[in-house]
Amino acid sequence: METPRDDRLAEELRALRPAPRPEFTAELDERAAAGFPRRSRLPRFSFDRLRAIQPRRMLLPAGGVAVIAIAVTSAVVGISGTSEESGRRTVEATAPSPEDTSSTQPPRRLKEFAAPIAPVESAAAEPLRGIERMSGAASAPSFDGGGRFVPGSAELASKPGVRNRAVERSAQIVLGADPADVGEDSSKVFEAVHAHDGIVMRSSTREGKPGVAGARFELLIPSAKLSDALAALSEIDEVRSRHEATADITAPTVNVSELLQDSKARIDSLLGQLQEAETESEREAVEAELRQERRHRARLRASLQNLQRRADLSRVLVRIETGAAENPTEGGAWSVGDALDDAGKILAVAAAVTVVALAILGPIALIALLAWLAHRAWIRRERRRVLS
Amino acid sequence: MEQTLVAEAKDAPRAGDLAFDRLYRSSRDDVYAYVASLLRDAPAAEEVTAAAFERAYRKRNRFDPERGEPRAWLFGIARNAALDELRRRGRQAELTAEPADLESFGAAEGAEHSERRLAVSTALEQLEPAERELIALKFFAGLENREIARVLGVSESNAGTKLHRAMTKLREACDGDA
Repeated sequence: METPRDDRLAEELRALRPAPRPEFTAELDERAAAGFPRRSRLPRFSFDRLRAIQPRRMLLPAGGVAVIAIAVTSAVVGISGTSEESGRRTVEATAPSPEDTSSTQPPRRLKEFAAPIAPVESAAAEPLRGIERMSGAASAPSFDGGGRFVPGSAELASKPGVRNRAVERSAQIVLGADPADVGEDSSKVFEAVHAHDGIVMRSSTREGKPGVAGARFELLIPSAKLSDALAALSEIDEVRSRHEATADITAPTVNVSELLQDSKARIDSLLGQLQEAETESEREAVEAELRQERRHRARLRASLQNLQRRADLSRVLVRIETGAAENPTEGGAWSVGDALDDAGKILAVAAAVTVVALAILGPIALIALLAWLAHRAWIRRERRRVLS
Repeated sequence: MEQTLVAEAKDAPRAGDLAFDRLYRSSRDDVYAYVASLLRDAPAAEEVTAAAFERAYRKRNRFDPERGEPRAWLFGIARNAALDELRRRGRQAELTAEPADLESFGAAEGAEHSERRLAVSTALEQLEPAERELIALKFFAGLENREIARVLGVSESNAGTKLHRAMTKLREACDGDA
């Protein structure tokens, strides 16, 4: 309960109440009537003001800025590292690998095709003609004077990642055509094959109504001209599907080549023994062994030739279909299914972008939130300190 | 004093503006008095008062009547603005050491009371800043104890107790000076 003394004290205190200047109140009333128009929100930068800030007070903001900078840098480096990794994977995917690979991209060109099928005798003299020679002639694999296989440059064909490789390629193209056009398209297939020095292994054509009429071609195309040939075949009619695959056959090629050289050395050795044989039985034994070794060598040559052909000639299967495509998403009119597929892809890309963005912005936002909370706590503490 | 800064949907902005205008009219001089008593610097007090009203105007739609009276909310904003100004200018030492400016306290209006008021003013200077703030909120700004409690973030009983202690200390200081 207040006493008269308290009332008097309160009255004297109220009399001490600071009063605003009339000019100020008038100005403030004007601003209030105008809805308190915003004044310059950005404080004027002043070096004097900056210098007046105590160094320890700059520690927290400076630390916050440093943490954010580190987070952003880490995120950027992480993303660029991921991109490089992904880019490297792409390169590896297009380069021949020891395992079978399948790609829609055109394969790398082989060295210029010399002859469709090399004779058996020449295969031994040039056993690795089908091997890719991407390192140039100086580093191409060859045989030394003793018939030993010498890998190109410092690279060993059997090592993963080396560039001198024998790669077997295959492709499949499905063309869509009207039944009336099957004959003409078939002729164009033959023309394209011949134009690229290829071979038609098998072919068959059927006439009839849509869905029945069609054609099928099994082709051998020089690997060096495979890309051009596929491009020419693709122009014949509507491409419903196109698939390319590669298989690395370097290891068996190198192995057979080495075995072949071993066999040659063995035959030379046996021939020497035959000349030195003194008895008939001894000569017959050597000749028997020699015959066996020659058969073995012939088999090796055939194997090497087969490998070489697989590298030199790519198998291509061309089918000409009529009627509706089996897979409506490949070619044809844009359907509801296509729209749904596209929408799904767009959503997947958007989701991926969102995830990446969140991966970057999430930590930054968290740091910013923590910094903001710390700043608020610091402000409150400082306000309490002002009056304490 | 019951006011609503946020009105119903359709006429919300107009009603909110009118409510804020009423709050401004009723609190302008009180806010200035409170801020001036904290800052002890008339130009700075004018600047901070204007800034506080501007800030409150911008935040008027965020005012929640359930969390307290509009005047308590407004004085909370003014208090933060004043303390930020003090913090920025490092005026704490000045706040406790600077002698009172009788002119600014209107001491010259009554000659017969000037001596007594000088004693009160001097005694006020001897109080702790937090105690002087309580006095300012009560007698310069005219806030109720519950409003003071809301501004300071303490309970109403705690605010009343602190205010009572401050008044007792002030009275003793006045008696001592006398």
